[in-house]
Amino acid sequence: MQGHKPLVAAMLEQTMPEPIHPLVITDLHKSFGDNPVLRGLSLTARKGDVITLIGASGSGKSTFLRCMNLLERPNAGEIVVHGESIRFKDTRRGREVADHRQVERIRSKLSMVFQNFNLWAHMTLLANVIEAPIHVLKVPKAEARARGMALLERVGLAERANYYPAQLSGGQQQRGAIARALAMEPEVMLFDEPTSALDPELVGDVLRVMRELADEGRTMIVVTHEMAFARDVSSQVVYLHQGRVEEAGPPGQVLDNPTSPRLRQFLAPKH
Amino acid sequence: MEQLNQAIIDLLSGNEIFTANTLDIYWEGLVNTVHLVFVSLLIGILLAVPLAILRGSRFAIIKWPIWCYTYVFRATPLLIQLYLAYYGFAFVPGVRDTWIWFFVEEPIYPALFAFTLNTAAYTTEIFHGAIKSTPRGEVEAARAYGMSRALTIRRIVLPSAFRRALPAYGNEVIFMLHASAIASVVTIMDLTGAAYYVYARFYAPFTAFIFVALLYMVLSFGIQAIFRGLERWLLAHLRPAG
Repeated sequence: MQGHKPLVAAMLEQTMPEPIHPLVITDLHKSFGDNPVLRGLSLTARKGDVITLIGASGSGKSTFLRCMNLLERPNAGEIVVHGESIRFKDTRRGREVADHRQVERIRSKLSMVFQNFNLWAHMTLLANVIEAPIHVLKVPKAEARARGMALLERVGLAERANYYPAQLSGGQQQRGAIARALAMEPEVMLFDEPTSALDPELVGDVLRVMRELADEGRTMIVVTHEMAFARDVSSQVVYLHQGRVEEAGPPGQVLDNPTSPRLRQFLAPKH
Repeated sequence: MEQLNQAIIDLLSGNEIFTANTLDIYWEGLVNTVHLVFVSLLIGILLAVPLAILRGSRFAIIKWPIWCYTYVFRATPLLIQLYLAYYGFAFVPGVRDTWIWFFVEEPIYPALFAFTLNTAAYTTEIFHGAIKSTPRGEVEAARAYGMSRALTIRRIVLPSAFRRALPAYGNEVIFMLHASAIASVVTIMDLTGAAYYVYARFYAPFTAFIFVALLYMVLSFGIQAIFRGLERWLLAHLRPAG
């Protein structure tokens, strides 16, 4: 029996899976009409990574983020969420999603926080937070409410639970939207310029909540113009230029010692 | 209470027009008007919701027939639609031999038919407009959170659109109440029919028609009150916190 041991070990080694990453994107392409926006982008988010996407407007960073949960349909490339690859099929109108149910299931694992919050205006804040858990994840109502209240407490909005979005400030709405995203217990949280629509004095509260999330080990991909946030919080900074990764790496390297002249210019203090 | 009773009796005595008999006719008219308006609004809204959703379809074969229907019914007088339903049906060859004749014979059914299709056309357009103006970002958020198209319509688009449509739909309801007056031309004894009967019998145009106008006003105020209540309840999200 002893003789078999190396064989078993070898088999184990062979079948030992690669660690399953929350999100792996390979060679993503996207064009709007004849205008290529993304030209072969790849990205791997390991568990606990905070990846910030930076770049000038038009560099494709928001489009890239929106391709990750299929709000935009990429023309080519692979998206793998927690080991599950999104299936596409080729049709006369181009590449389409093969299985809408699969996409819906995968989207429920990638909650998104939008620039304009996009809370559902006819629902109270608490109803916004528990809507998708109840109707998409089929969480029992009482449980969803209890969790929802706890999340609102976390983002400092417990006493605003029964307010409607229009009755809240932008910063409160965005923190509510983050609570809505957390309620899905997502694999990855996608932030699409979450502070760009806020008054300057409200940005701090939202960033504080996002820092806490990063500290507790959430996997986050953040499109942002907040360089201080990118420097302090992210594990990886990706600088996009014209739909390509111009430079990527840890923030200390990318932001403090940029090699690309374009990135240097991008980071140069504006007057 | 007794004083009120006595007051009414005093008012009615020495009064040749408002006898128990004519009040009974007005009552019948009221019942017919409410019945006609209520049933056509109910069926109309049930038709309008799916039509309004399909009206926004990206498939021309679904979208255009609905557009044609709403366009035709909104571009022609309700009275003509009523005439076509009431007089026209009887001339469809062979209709007298089918079960449909049973309905066409009674004026109430052609009237219901015309009124329902008319209000459904207007309501479809009201809802369609409200659905179309659903904030894009809210629909996108629903999709991003894994909601299917059907769930997004049911949970986000329709609740949001109904609320936006409420004031316009309240107007449509009052409009239908007033438009229902033309039912009297096809021999239906609705409120207007009752007033005409009383007028013809006593040659008292002011008494007969002002009284019925007051009844329409009371109904309109009632409808307005209901919609105000609905708006207070359903449009709470548009009011400042308080």
